[in-house]
Amino acid sequence: MTLPYLIDQLVNGLILGSMYALVAIGFSMIYGIVRLINFAHGDILTIGAFAGLAAFASADLPFPVVILIVLVAGAVVGMVIERTTFRPMRGSPQVTGFIASLAVSIILENLAIMILSAQPRTFRIPAYLNALVDFGPVSIRVIDLMIVVLAIVLVIALTSFVRFTKVGIAMRATAENYDVARLMGININRMIMLAFAIGSALAAVAGLMWGSKYGQISPLMGVLPGLKAFVAAVIGGVGSISGAVLGGYILGLAEVLFVGLLPPALSGYRNAFVFGALILVLLVLPNGLLGRNTETRA
Amino acid sequence: MSDRDTFLPKFAALALIGAGLVFWARSVLDPYALSIVMFVGINVILAVSLNISNGFTGLFSLGHPAFMTIGGYMTAILVMPAARKGLMLPDLPAFLAGQEWSFLPALLAGGSLSALVAVIVGFPVLRLRGHYLAVATLGLIFIVQSLAVNLDGVTRGALGLSGLPSLTTTWWVYGFVLLTLFVCWRLKHSSLGRTMLAIRENELAAACLGVRVARTRVFAFALGAFFAGIAGGLWVHVVTLISPDSFSFGLAFQLVVMVVVGGTGSITGASIVAAVLTLATEFLKPVEESLNLYGASQIAIAVGVILILIYRPAGLFGTAEPQPLNLIKRLGSRHTSPANSPE
Amino acid sequence: MQTWIKGLASAAVGALIAASAGSAQAADPIDIVALYNLSGGGQASLDVPSLNGVKLKAKMINEAGGLLGGRMLNVTAFDTKDDTREAATAAKRAVAMKGVSAAIGFSDTTYVLAAAPLFQTAGIPFVTSGATSPDLPVMVGDEMFLVPFGDDVQAEAMAEYAYNKLGIHKIAIWTDRGMDYTTGLTKYFTKRFEKLGGKVVLSDVFMTSDQDFSALVSRLKSTKGVEGVYAASGPDTAGIIIKQIREAGLDLPIMGGDGLDTDLVVSVPGKEMATDVYFTTHAYVGLDTGPANEFRKAYTREYGHEPENAFAALGFDAMGVVANAIEKAGSADPAAVTKALAATKDYEGVTGALTYPEGSHVPSKPVAIMHVDKGNVDFDETVTPQD
Repeated sequence: MTLPYLIDQLVNGLILGSMYALVAIGFSMIYGIVRLINFAHGDILTIGAFAGLAAFASADLPFPVVILIVLVAGAVVGMVIERTTFRPMRGSPQVTGFIASLAVSIILENLAIMILSAQPRTFRIPAYLNALVDFGPVSIRVIDLMIVVLAIVLVIALTSFVRFTKVGIAMRATAENYDVARLMGININRMIMLAFAIGSALAAVAGLMWGSKYGQISPLMGVLPGLKAFVAAVIGGVGSISGAVLGGYILGLAEVLFVGLLPPALSGYRNAFVFGALILVLLVLPNGLLGRNTETRA
Repeated sequence: MSDRDTFLPKFAALALIGAGLVFWARSVLDPYALSIVMFVGINVILAVSLNISNGFTGLFSLGHPAFMTIGGYMTAILVMPAARKGLMLPDLPAFLAGQEWSFLPALLAGGSLSALVAVIVGFPVLRLRGHYLAVATLGLIFIVQSLAVNLDGVTRGALGLSGLPSLTTTWWVYGFVLLTLFVCWRLKHSSLGRTMLAIRENELAAACLGVRVARTRVFAFALGAFFAGIAGGLWVHVVTLISPDSFSFGLAFQLVVMVVVGGTGSITGASIVAAVLTLATEFLKPVEESLNLYGASQIAIAVGVILILIYRPAGLFGTAEPQPLNLIKRLGSRHTSPANSPE
Repeated sequence: MQTWIKGLASAAVGALIAASAGSAQAADPIDIVALYNLSGGGQASLDVPSLNGVKLKAKMINEAGGLLGGRMLNVTAFDTKDDTREAATAAKRAVAMKGVSAAIGFSDTTYVLAAAPLFQTAGIPFVTSGATSPDLPVMVGDEMFLVPFGDDVQAEAMAEYAYNKLGIHKIAIWTDRGMDYTTGLTKYFTKRFEKLGGKVVLSDVFMTSDQDFSALVSRLKSTKGVEGVYAASGPDTAGIIIKQIREAGLDLPIMGGDGLDTDLVVSVPGKEMATDVYFTTHAYVGLDTGPANEFRKAYTREYGHEPENAFAALGFDAMGVVANAIEKAGSADPAAVTKALAATKDYEGVTGALTYPEGSHVPSKPVAIMHVDKGNVDFDETVTPQD
């Protein structure tokens, strides 16, 4: 193994990691407020990707406008799911919400196949996004750079939003204790819906980025990224936004290095490795690297 | 004690009635309908055994498909004639290649291997709580699937093992349904079962009363895995094929639905919902085909689950056991859905 | 409990009979069942086009007056939901329907193996439109027929083309381990390529659901002496693989089987990068003339878009081969159909002229080698296997 090869693989890992981070942020956001593992998160990613495709295809809109459309689409879907499914069962055990999110996921996936057909579709992006930028030994595509930058910008923006704005503080109060927050005059329904809107909008944007990067989208594309984002969020500490990003990068790097540094015959165990790592992290660091609550184990 | 005294005769009476029905079904139903009856039975075994961990003990596991895969492969390899093994799996380790077991010991071996894996995995993983455990066991499905794809010397890779003898009959399934129901019923009403329920309700309090929480949990998990392994072995010898994708995450969801909708902890509830759900998906198919809306039945079931979670969060039966004899009487007299008659 | 089951069962069967009676008014239709994975997972992207092809052919035959002097084809499609259990129960249901003349189905060997043995026992021919394991008839029996050529034929054709025509002697192979189709391709390709004197310098694996191939691309890049890549991939990963290899600046020839016969191969990487790609596929499918053109036009008219991949044409031909056999047999009786199927000779399908050689149910069909150059998919040559 040579140094350029190692650098190559590290860059691969970082880019894949920022992809996971992007998906995981939204996931952690929702978990942080409502303590719900939202299994349908990956399917909202799919919706975002198809919304992006529709926006690109119907009119030759500039990329920033497409992002805006995708954000809105994701937020709307997230709010609808929250209002119709999760709000009526608020107060039930955690597991209830989890099962409901599985059901939502099955509904979305089957609807997607019924309406869109199972065929993968090409996702073309403007040529300038595919251009190469040189950084000495490595060159990176504009879209990959955008993904990395977007992940970092979003962490900073979301962390400061939650920490410093009035609404953000209200959201954190909601996350701490519904009843006390209500007594403080916070409309917790609105806060939870907002968390879903933001989290789902982020998933949708992640879908757009996913499609832009790989050039192909399909109705079931979100399933595996959704699961892996969950793993990333757990590694970082579910509920922590910066933890999600950290977890995403760690997972991306670990996955690429697992494939890249071990013999090719082991590449087939890639997903087994990811979930094995998940179980290991849960056991050693039940609250993840940056998590703080302690309800994960006895 | 009186509960127990009436239990045995009651169970025996029900078993006899059931045997009569199986006998009758075998003489009138065609092979397709009989295979549906078998899947109803297998799903009852799966749902009721999942209830040991998910219902009694409050461990939310999604791991049943992983244990079915282990049990299914184990049973299939043990039962397969040695000559066929040489053709299909030339790289099989020598200690497996020569084996040619009959069905019952092979099933039990498959179940035992699943239980063993559950014990090994259980000690670390069962320390996790709630949905963390759910996701860890979900990971287990992917890990086992990955192994089944890649260990092609034992599993023949993605293609799977095919042309297996169709050994499973309605009698085999019925026998194991009875065994599962019997074991679970006795367990639920034994001190061990009460211990499990205590852990579910309040773990700390249970521990203070001297309950060995970790050990009881692992036992519940392993017992469930044992029956899942057997169900896997039965399933494989109905379909006559096992592949890495045979038992996937979608199945885990269906099973969890059976337990949750039936009422976590209710044996009767889980059995009835398992039967109804299996039959409903089968009967929805012609509708789906005539409407040309493939996938609609999954959507319908998922919507139904959400509605039940909202309006009857404890499931249709809670932890209670409706009187099976009365229920069957009621069912016999009117064709009402059991969903309308809780308690 | 059982009486209640029976009640429901009879209601459902009644509904089924009513539904089928409504859709086919003509006296005595010929019943064909089609088993495909239409929902629930990854197979749908192959199986939906296949079923579309089957239905299109049946419709065209019916519009032209049906078979056996006016009997209409009645295709009943079963959705097996990416689940082998569903495949087995659907087969049982089809067999219980009575009067089925033939069954068509599946693009994956595993599903065929779950369903076909039941038709074998019932004495009904099972024609697979897309599963390509040449061992299938051996594993199932004499009711089993393949419409596509076996994996061995196309993989060997490509191995020879790569070694002799492209002059590639050192090759890297990427295999999707999640499918029997792709592992089979790799097995046969490697065997023939090494026999010719070639060397496999890198053998990497991935899974059908993978989307990020960056780690594999980097390893490919760092492996010395690679002259080409054989990508044993299904249609869903074909485009992404080419895109990611080309984006890394590698301009090696990329080769593959009929899994690469999809528009995604050009559209995902874009015209510029979709170049120096070679794949084996069914004769005519990619050609601009002959029955392929008619098929493409009819398909587009019926479904509003071009055929998604080669599986659409294979489904179309599966129905065609069965109809041809029924016509030849002069009867819709399954035993007669099986006999006529086995005797199929020079059936002119969209995927090439199909003949079942003496004693074999894997057709001898010409293999077309296609060359993708700057986004243009051109026919290069046809190889007809000699045995």
